[in-house]
Amino acid sequence: MRYSSWLAIVIVAFCLWSGSAYMHFHNRQIESEQQIKLRHQFQKAVGLPNLAITSTARYLRHYSITDLTTPFQDYPASPDHFPAGFAFAPPDYSNMPCPIVFGKPEKLTRANTL
Amino acid sequence: MISGSWFERQKNIIDYSLQSLLRRRSKNILILIIFILLVFAVSSVLFITESLTQEMMITSNDLPDITVQRIVGGRQANVPASYIPDIEEIPGVEAVETRVWGYFYLASLQANFTIYGMDLNLLEEGEYQKIVNWKNVPDESENQILSTRPDFRMIVGQGVFELLRDIQMEKAYLFYQPTWEKPIPFDIIGTFKTETELQSNDMMILQTEGARRVLELPPDEFTDMAVYVPNPEEIDNIALKIRRYFPELRTITKAQIKNTYSSVFGWKSAFVLSSMLAAIFAFLILIWDKASGLSPEEKREIGILKAVGWDTDVLLSVKLWEGLILSGVSSLAGILLAYTYTFQLRAPGLREIFIGWSAIYPSFQLIPDADPKSLLLIITISVVPYLAVTVFPAWKAAITDPDVVIRNI
Repeated sequence: MRYSSWLAIVIVAFCLWSGSAYMHFHNRQIESEQQIKLRHQFQKAVGLPNLAITSTARYLRHYSITDLTTPFQDYPASPDHFPAGFAFAPPDYSNMPCPIVFGKPEKLTRANTL
Repeated sequence: MISGSWFERQKNIIDYSLQSLLRRRSKNILILIIFILLVFAVSSVLFITESLTQEMMITSNDLPDITVQRIVGGRQANVPASYIPDIEEIPGVEAVETRVWGYFYLASLQANFTIYGMDLNLLEEGEYQKIVNWKNVPDESENQILSTRPDFRMIVGQGVFELLRDIQMEKAYLFYQPTWEKPIPFDIIGTFKTETELQSNDMMILQTEGARRVLELPPDEFTDMAVYVPNPEEIDNIALKIRRYFPELRTITKAQIKNTYSSVFGWKSAFVLSSMLAAIFAFLILIWDKASGLSPEEKREIGILKAVGWDTDVLLSVKLWEGLILSGVSSLAGILLAYTYTFQLRAPGLREIFIGWSAIYPSFQLIPDADPKSLLLIITISVVPYLAVTVFPAWKAAITDPDVVIRNI
C-alpha cells in the first residue's frame, strides 16, 4: 500500500475520533439541559455564589463574596497552601467607588447625600 | 514521478514526504510525541477553565442583585435587623432578604460544610420541590416527633449525605461544638439531586431557626442581606446609595460577581500556562535545532533532487507536506486527547488543582465548552511556526546551486 493511503487511513481515523468526541459533546449538551434547569432553581432558592468544587477551606468556598482578610484567618500571615487557592483568583473590587471620609463621619442621611 | 493531474502529483509528493519522514524515524517520532504532549497540556488547561467558567456563568443571573455585608474593623460582621427598613425605603428596591449562613468544620472528617438557613417549607412547594430527593418520609409516630421540632430539619447535598452515610448519620445528624452543653440533632429530610451537585454538594440547608442555633447567631442578627432590584439599570446606583448611607456596609453587585467569575481563572491559569513556558521553550529549541540547520544528508538530498531536475517549488511542497503532516497530526491528536481526558476521563491529575484537598467534592462531570477561537489559536500557534521553520531552511538550500550544496558536505 502507498504511503499516502496510510495517511488517508490516519485522517479517516481522526475524523471518526473527532466525530465521536462531537457526539459526546452533543449528548452532554442535551443531558445538561435538565441539569441546568434544576441548577437555576437551586440558585434561586439558595442565593450563594460559586461552585461547590472548592470546599477545602471556608475562604475558598464563596470567594466571590468573601471578605478581603479571610485568606489569613487560619493564623496570621498563613501562606495560601491549598492547591485550589492557587487556581482561583481573589475577587477584584478595584473598580468599586469608595468614598474617602476623614475623621469620624457623621451618619449620612439621605437628605445630605442626595 | 511528478507528472499527472494535480491530485496525482500531490499524492506522489505526499508519498515522498512520508518516506522522508520515516527515514528519520526516531527524530520525528520524538518531535511528534513532544508536540502532542504540549498541545494536550495547553488544551486541557483551556478546556477545564473555559467549562468551569461556563458552569459558573450558567446560574449567575439567578444570584441576588446586591449582596450586602457589614464590615467592622476590616472584617465581616453580623448585620443587625435595624438596617432592613432603611434599605427597603430606598426607591427601586423591591425586597431585602436576610440570610443566615456560615460554615461548619467537622474535624473528624476534615470536611467543611456550608450551612444555609431558610424556610424549608418553601422547598416543598412548586418548582423548588423538584430539586430535592425527599427521604425519610415519617410515619405517624415519627411525624409527631418531627412536628414537635420542625426547626431541626435539614436537606443536604449529595456529597454531605455520602459522607454522613459513612458515619451512620444519614437519617439524623448531631451538630456539636465543644463549647456547647449538648449536641443539637437534625433530621435529614432529603438530599439535593445530583444534577445540582456542582452547587449543592457541600450544602446543608437548615431551617432558619436551627441554623441560627448551629451558627450561634444572636437573635435579630443576620450573616448578610440580599437586596433585590427589579431594574438592572438601577443596581449600581442603589449599591452606591447603600454605601453612602451606611459606610460600614459593603455591597457586592451581581455584575461584580459575574466579573469575578469571568476573571477568576485569568491570572492563575495564565500562571499555569506560563509555568509550561519551560516546556514550550524546550520544544522551540528542539524544532529550531531540527529546522535551522538541515542535516548534511538532508542538504545532499535536496542537492541531488535539484541536480536530477526537481523544481524548487516541488521541493518546497515536499517540505511543506512534511511539516503539515507532522504538526497537523500532532495538533489534532493533542486536542482530541485533551477533550477525552477532560470531559470523558474527568481530568485526573489536573482536577486536583481546582478541587484541591476537599473532603467532599463533586464528580467533576463538566459540561463541555470549547471556544472555537482558542482551538483555532492553538492550531495556529503550533502549526504555522513549525511550517515556517521547516520550509525556510529547505528553501535556502533549494535556491543554492546544486553543485555547491552537494560539494559543501
